[in-house]
Parts: sequence; structure tokens; C-alpha cells
Amino acid sequence: MKKNIHIDDFTRPGGQVTELDPAELDPLPPPYDKIDKPSIRKLTEEQRKRMDASLDGIVAIGLTPPKTPEEEKAFIDKFLAGIKKLFSADDNWTFLQPLVHTLEYCVKCQICSDACPVYISSGRQDIYRPTMRPELFRRIVSKYIKKEHPFLRKIKDSDIDLNWQTLARLGELAYRCTLCRRCAQVCPLGCDNALISREIRKVFSQQMGIAPKELHEKGSVQQLRVGSSTGMTPAALKNILEFAEEEIEEKTGRKIKIPVDKKGADILLIHNAGEFLAWPENLEAFAIILDAAGVDWTLSTEIAGYDSVNYGVWYDDFQFARVVIRQSQAAKSLGVRKISFGECGHAHKAGIVVADRVLTGDLIIPRESSLPMLEEIVMSGRIKLDPGRNNFPVTLHDPCNMVRLMGIVEPQRRILRKICPQFREMTPHGVENYCCGGGSGFAITQSTNFPDWRSAVSGRMKMKQILEAFQDVPGAEVKKYVCAPCSNCKGQFRDMFEYYGVWEKSGILYGGLVELIVNAMADLKKPFIQWEWH
Amino acid sequence: MGTLIIVLTYIAYVLIVVVYTIKITAWLKMPPHIRWDLYPVIHEENYRYGGSYYEQPEWWTKPRPRNTWRSLFYSLKDNFYMGEYYKRNRTYWLCLLPWHLGFIFIITFHILCFFAAVAMFGGLDIAANAPHVAGRVFYTILLLTGGFAFVSGTFGSIGMPIIRLADRGLRTYSMPMNYFNYLFFLVVYGSGLLAWLLLDPTLDEYRAYWLGLITLTPPELHPMTVLHIILFDIFLIYLPFTRSTHYITRILAYFFIRWDDEPNLPGSELEKQIVGLLGRKVSWEGKHIPTGRSWAEAAMESGLPETKKDTP
Repeated sequence: MKKNIHIDDFTRPGGQVTELDPAELDPLPPPYDKIDKPSIRKLTEEQRKRMDASLDGIVAIGLTPPKTPEEEKAFIDKFLAGIKKLFSADDNWTFLQPLVHTLEYCVKCQICSDACPVYISSGRQDIYRPTMRPELFRRIVSKYIKKEHPFLRKIKDSDIDLNWQTLARLGELAYRCTLCRRCAQVCPLGCDNALISREIRKVFSQQMGIAPKELHEKGSVQQLRVGSSTGMTPAALKNILEFAEEEIEEKTGRKIKIPVDKKGADILLIHNAGEFLAWPENLEAFAIILDAAGVDWTLSTEIAGYDSVNYGVWYDDFQFARVVIRQSQAAKSLGVRKISFGECGHAHKAGIVVADRVLTGDLIIPRESSLPMLEEIVMSGRIKLDPGRNNFPVTLHDPCNMVRLMGIVEPQRRILRKICPQFREMTPHGVENYCCGGGSGFAITQSTNFPDWRSAVSGRMKMKQILEAFQDVPGAEVKKYVCAPCSNCKGQFRDMFEYYGVWEKSGILYGGLVELIVNAMADLKKPFIQWEWH
Repeated sequence: MGTLIIVLTYIAYVLIVVVYTIKITAWLKMPPHIRWDLYPVIHEENYRYGGSYYEQPEWWTKPRPRNTWRSLFYSLKDNFYMGEYYKRNRTYWLCLLPWHLGFIFIITFHILCFFAAVAMFGGLDIAANAPHVAGRVFYTILLLTGGFAFVSGTFGSIGMPIIRLADRGLRTYSMPMNYFNYLFFLVVYGSGLLAWLLLDPTLDEYRAYWLGLITLTPPELHPMTVLHIILFDIFLIYLPFTRSTHYITRILAYFFIRWDDEPNLPGSELEKQIVGLLGRKVSWEGKHIPTGRSWAEAAMESGLPETKKDTP
């Protein structure tokens, strides 16, 4: 039974703030309306002792409880010192203005709640309201940073009793928001409650050194150390590219040499390194198209130069800046004219938009999305395309970072309208799209039962949208394609489709945009897209 | 009493202007932030579907047409329409809009009264049967503006607490101050409404009051009108200390955060500002951040354990 959640529930030591009941989740269409397994695994007793799961029984960061009161006090004091830094123009010039604006001017009107796919999909659980995190945060600021008078706190209802568990719950709660910023888009007052999630994550990372290990230790730290968040070294990259060249020849009969570290090339293309390991057909398709179109391009083997991911954009300003600087340095050392980002949404936003106010001097190298370039190639007729080869139902997923957060809406659609006769939109789409559910690092977060949560809750709205887009052809006998021009979103679809058995039940495959373009190339002897689940 | 309301009114107007100016200046003085734009960006050519200049290949070589007037109109019109509330919570909107229109119209009414008083001082007769058409038009506009403000504000102030209590989400996030505000604003609007309906149907006393203000001559007013004017002055003094600045800051947030898509081009003024910001010292204590170094130095380092410098 769902209960109203109040701030006191977060500050109460022990227990769990809320328990997710699968029966209360927003229903999916048949055959996905039957719950044939526990939708979210329970933690074991041992896990519960080791990690705090007192928010909702889910673990993304899993803080270890302090052993002594002194440890607890030190933790709280350090956290409060971090919050203070968020309001410093030296430490946090990067987001001071939007942060202050949201904290000061949000009137908690709840318009944003109805726009939030996590809140709706969860069956409207109070803890997932976009206003809940800011409310907790605002109260901490009121009492411990601004030190407002108790009477003022009373009439503003902004009191809070801080303990370690409150902060542990706040930290977890910051990782129940995908940063899709749909809430911010509908706010009539220009507030951005998703940003508060990011700022809370930032305090945990930049001040406390706490972040999900997939984002920090195995993510941005690994990327800065070996070159890629996947752990792939430049030597491994070269092996993978050789394999890709062989595959291209096998699939298309074409001998293509993928250019690497080519000095003076026109374009440095940076892929999400996940493509190299999980979806090599994406980088192969890019190579086939650029080769056929006669584009002068190269890949890099420099640190971060061959991996466009930038997890810092989700939790840490410094890790973010370090990656974009190294990507620009890689381009500079090759002497390319511009950087083009492959199919990765957050890399687009981080590398093209957010990086804009970190790079100065000769590190300002023109950066753009690969989608307009692909559109130009497709529309120019430089490669001969036969839409009949893509005569199956196709829908398009809009990666939030690429679409709502940077306004690249039409190039991918114009391509699909030209090469996919059965293209259909999801509802809503474009800048009003719903997140895949794997945004802000969720797709790579594998901690305990977190993957269950993101398939059952944060990805639920997208799952529903996809099924609705194909409702005229629901059976598995008609093969269908979700075009997701984003590596992160594909990771989420892979896990979520697996979780629900979507390939078996509905015959829906996911993949990138370039695969569809190559699949439509008239002079290829056999289809490029292989209708196999992977 | 006449002298009191003259003094109080001047204090109220000076205070509201000063506090609003301080608040807006403080908002604007915050340093430029990392780009965090959100689409649709209304000044963009393809704003209808949310497109940006990034949709073009080599966008930096292309013109970036920008329609600032459209953005301004878009952001101002929402003060009178509140479209997102209309779309997403119609019941709430039915009370919220009149409540807000009450604010806008009561302030507009008083500004118009000021101009009416100036016109009267210049010899214009303002009345339903004034000899000059300007006097009759002025009279009608004042009557409509004032009457609408009182009715709309009273209706909104009654409806808002009811909606807040009836809606689970709104109730959870309501604070005692919200209810105090609704009550106080109800008294302000309600007193005006009563004075208008029962004692001053032509709103003639407000013109006399404003004439008294500009000529520094204490006016003779009915006690009910005086009560409303005193309450309205207190309302003006109180307003800047509430979130009411959002009438202005929401527009600033649109222009300077949500729609701020200005690229940092080499040699630009923006680049110079960023260079300055990158020189600021940081004090974060995470192990991967070199405390005490500049922002740029911290970003240039890899932050890996072997390169971590001495930190306190």
C-alpha cells in the first residue's frame, strides 16, 4: 500500500523509506502486463549489512555505515563543507547560477512530477518526485548553511534533523534521476530540479570521493588512465579495428582500411568505446559510409581520443573537464580541422555543448555531431540507397542529451523518412521524448539490484512507448527495429529487452542509425543488419 | 491618517524598488556558468520543433539567426496565460491564474492611478461623464483594471489554499507560510473589493489618493479605503521578501540559462571571461582534486593517484 512520504521519513534512523510494490508500477500492455518473476530482486542480509539500502531497497552507490559516532560526525561535517562550496563562485562557478535559481524560486507546484517518467512509472511514488531531492537539499541548506532562524524554518517548514542515514538516502536518491531534464523543460519558472540531483552527486564525488564505481573508478578514472572507460588500451583498439576490417570485407566484400592517427585528416571521429566491444557493426557501418562518401577522417589512439564517453558530465565537473581537454588535445596533436562525435548522446552534449565553456585558446577545436554530416551524405546521393531494403517497421528513440539538451531533432528523422518506408514516431517524441531509462550512467551501473530497478522503473515508460509504436505489428513474426543513435541508450535497451524477453515475445531489435543506412546501400550483396539477438 | 498613508506609500514603493533591484542585481552578478541549455530555444530559427544550430554540418561556419523579440514575447505572455499549468493541471490553473493576474492587475491599477493623478493635476477631468474623451477612456480603464484585480485576486486567494489542501502532492509540499500568504492576500484583495463594491463604485477615492501623493496633500478618504491602502502598502513591502521576484527571475532564467546557447568562439569576450573563471582556486577535498590549485590546473591534471599533489 502506497503511503505519503514526508521529510521525516528520510531522517528516521533504520527502516526503509519506501518499498516498491510491483503491482503499483504503471501497467505495460500485454503480454508484458503479467508479472512472471519478482520484478526487482531483494538484497541479501549480507548485502544489507554492507551497504545502505534504506531508501527503497535498491543500491546504486551503497554507502557503508559508519562504525562510530565520531565517524558519523566527520562524514556529516565534510558533506556540509561540500554543500557550502556549491555556493562559492570559486568552487562552483560552473553551475552556481542555475543552482541558486532553482533553490530560491521553485514553488513546488508539482508540474514537473507529471513530466517525470520515473515518478509516473513507479506508480507515483512520492520519493521519486523531482521536487523531493531539492526539498531535502533545501532544508539542509536552510538549517546548516544559511543557518536560518528556527522561527523562519518553522514557518517555511524547512527544518531537518541530519544524520548519516539521511545523507546516505539523499545520495542514493540522487541516483534515481536520469537527468533527462524533462522536469526542467516544463517548469514555468525556469527551475531545474534535475540539476539538483547532479549537484548532490557532485558534492558526494568532489568532496567525499563517493560515486558509483562504474562512473568513477571503472569509468572516468580508467578512461584517463588507459584511454577508455571500457579498459580498452590503444593496442587492443588496433586489434579490434583489424577484426572490424575483416568483418566489413566478409559482410560487404569491400576492403576498407580504417584510418588511425592520420595526421592532418579533416575529421577526428570519436566513438563511444562501447561500440568497439559490444556493437562493432556500428563502427563498421560508419567506416563503410565515410569510405563510400570519400570523407577524409581518422580515429585516434590518444588517451580519451578514441572514447567519446564523458561520465563526468553526470557527477563531477573536474572529471568532465579532464576528458574534454584530452579529447581536444588528441585532435590538436593530429592537426585535424574538426571533431565529429559518433552515435553517443551524452558524449554529444558533453563534448560539443558543455565543453564549450571549459575549452579556451588553441583547445577550441570545432566540434560537431556526426548526424548532420550523415544527413548530407544521404541526401546528396553520394551513396546509392534503396529504401526497399529497409522495408520493416522502424521507430526512432530520441536520446535526451542529443535532442532535448542540444536540439538535434530533424537530421536523423530526415534520413529515416528517406530510407525506411515503415518509419513511425513514438508518442511523444523529439524534444518531448522520454528517456530510455539508462540516462546519467544508469545503463552502465550494475550494482546489485540496480539493473532490475532501471528495467522495471526508469525504463518502463520507454518500454511502453516502443510497444505502442509497434502496436499494429505486435507479434514476434514481424521483425521490428528501434533506431537508437546512442550507445548508452542501446546498452539500456539490451538489458531491458533481455529483462522483458522482448525479442522472443515481440521480435524487436535495437540498433544505430548508420546500420540502417548501410543496410539500404543498393550495391551491397546481402543485408547488413543481421536479425539476431545480441 | 492622510499623512500616514502618504508616508507609508512612499516607503513601500522605495522599498519594493530597492529590494527588487538588489535581488535582480545579485542574480545577474553571478558568474557565467557552464552551458546547460534546454530545447526548444525560442530564439532559434527551428524553435517550433526544438531544433538548434547544431543541426547544420559545420555550424560554426553558418549564420545563427536569433529572434530575441520572439523570446521576449514568449516569456512575457506566460505571465498572463501560464500555459504549462493549463496543459498539465487545469484545476490548479483555474485558481493560480486569477491569483497571479490579481497581482499584475492591482499593481497596474496603481500605476495607472498615478498617471491619472498626473493628468488630473494637468487639468483633465476623469469620470464617466467627463467632457473630454480621454477622461472617459481613462475612467473606464481604471475601473476595469481595479475591479478585475480585486475580483481576480480575491477569487485566487480563496481558491489556492483549497487546491493546495485537496491535492496530495501540493499538500505535502505546502508550508505554513503559503497559507499565511493566501490569507494575507485575501485580506488585501477582499478589503479592496469591499471598499469598491460598498463605498466607492467609481474608484474615485484612489484617484484622490494618488493626487494627494503627487501633490503631497493628505487626502480625505473613507476609513475602508484607507484600510485597504495601508494593507496594500504592507503588501508592497512584504512582496520582495517572498518568491514574487520570480515574475522577473523566471524570464532571466529563460534567457541566461535555458536559452543560453551562445558558443564560446576563439577571441570572444566570453572566452576572456572563462579564462578568468578557470583561474579561480578550488577547495574541494576529493582525493582526485588538487585542493588549492586553480580550476584550470585541476582540470589539466589527470587526477590519478600517482599524480595527486599534496593536499591538506
